Amino acid sequence: MPLVAGIDCGSGFTKAMVVSQDGPGADLLVLGKGQTRSGINVDQAAEKALELALNDIPRSDVAYIAATGFGRYGLSFRDIAITEITSAARGAFYLCPASHAVLDIGSQTTRAIAVTSTGKVQTFKSNDKCAAGSGMFIARAARYLEVPLEQVGDLSVKAAHPQPISSVCAVLAESEIINHVSCGVSVEDILRGIHDSLADRSGALLKRVGLARTLTFIGGVAHQHGMIDALRQRLGVEVEVPHDCEYVCALGAALLGLRRLAARN
Amino acid sequence: MRIAAGVDVGSTQTKAVLMQDNGERKILARALTDTGANVLKAAESAFHKCCESAGIHSQEVGYVVGTGYGRYKITFGNAQMTEISCHARGAQFLCPGTRTVIDMGGQDSKAISVGPQGEVLDFVMNDKCAAGTGRFLANAAEVMGIGLDEIGPLSLKATQPVKIATVCTVFVESDILSYLSQGKRPENIMGGVHLAIAKRTLSLARRVNIEPEVTMTGGVARNCGMVHALETVLGRKMQISPDAHYMGAVGAAIFALEKMDDTFENTVWREHAAGSRN
Repeated sequence: MPLVAGIDCGSGFTKAMVVSQDGPGADLLVLGKGQTRSGINVDQAAEKALELALNDIPRSDVAYIAATGFGRYGLSFRDIAITEITSAARGAFYLCPASHAVLDIGSQTTRAIAVTSTGKVQTFKSNDKCAAGSGMFIARAARYLEVPLEQVGDLSVKAAHPQPISSVCAVLAESEIINHVSCGVSVEDILRGIHDSLADRSGALLKRVGLARTLTFIGGVAHQHGMIDALRQRLGVEVEVPHDCEYVCALGAALLGLRRLAARN
Repeated sequence: MRIAAGVDVGSTQTKAVLMQDNGERKILARALTDTGANVLKAAESAFHKCCESAGIHSQEVGYVVGTGYGRYKITFGNAQMTEISCHARGAQFLCPGTRTVIDMGGQDSKAISVGPQGEVLDFVMNDKCAAGTGRFLANAAEVMGIGLDEIGPLSLKATQPVKIATVCTVFVESDILSYLSQGKRPENIMGGVHLAIAKRTLSLARRVNIEPEVTMTGGVARNCGMVHALETVLGRKMQISPDAHYMGAVGAAIFALEKMDDTFENTVWREHAAGSRN
């Protein structure tokens, strides 16, 4: 059974997922996943992520490599390059077929995608011009607040009185956050304010592609419970977060890779 | 001797200027301090430093006008004016003939269209995003591991400035790092950074009528690389006063003198709040 790897070369992290399928229609088998910081060398990061995903499986078993994400063209050992929009839609549709709107918040880009009933991209809008509304906004804020990124979501959920953040710019927000801290606003309330701000900006993107009743939320930020809550409350939608939310693009690329491989053979 | 003061509480630095009027208006002293968290303390400290360096007692100062984003916290001041009016007035005083002011400060940037008497005709402001501010340049300098004072001169040495696609202060960090890893020379990276910000500032300034003379004010005017980049994209020279950094405080001090003289009501100063906010 040939193995296919989907490698998502994101601006922050590189994620790899190795899958196989015993012919079309058969169950998909996920053999492993792995991720690492992207750094500046795409090949190096991809190699590392793939190695983690393969674990003990020999590299030579991988018959096809589908690259996606911001750095996909920098990946020298790819068989195909797929846009992250297409892979996000494909992966999200596979995991949550009932939902037709996908929100992917990455390190540097936030994407809102409308998906057809067959899992194709209907339309999409993305913000990659500035860090406002991206995962980087949260990362910067967490840094100012000296909160480890992994704890951000759990703290934000506990907010009693979310503190609205008026600065859109991730850099200018720093002064505002410092100001709130010095006025005695709790870290929880500030973090939730940041999630609310991000939810509003995501909502603006989603409205432009047509906001559905159910939203599939993917990307690393989807691990943060506070962000999920913020999206639910601010946008008034059901939010579905698939398992392994940060691997959805890698999965989508792998699924498309399987089809390509089947067509080739 | 009639002495008045202008105190400009900026987001990053607080500037104070003492002016006297003996038939002729003259700057007596200037002082600079970091604004920090306590705005009033910064304003007081800049004001007293100023008096000290002029060798006068603070009670000899007849009138104090506060300006800048923290102006309403200056409790010892007699009046407040917007920094837009003050930059326009200061620029008209120090750089006669000024019709356009480009002010690049620590956390915002502005373009002001100025009338013949230093009155504000129109203005646009960017305070939503750090692009085009001192903050952006400070961040870029930090990523490069170079002092803020050095990036301007360094950028002037650029032979092939790199293309910087983003003006986001956060994203430019990864742009810089990736160019460094590609072995691009620091001066070419910095040249590209300055050019990107100059273009961004020009598109802001175009929203008012850019008419000569163009005067640059604010702390970023001390950066010769930014001045050069702006002049390149503008296609004309700008006037840069040695007191460009103090321009808001200079304008405030002039207003303070006028208030003292009671001639204020008779001056043609008006602020047209017609300027659209960015």
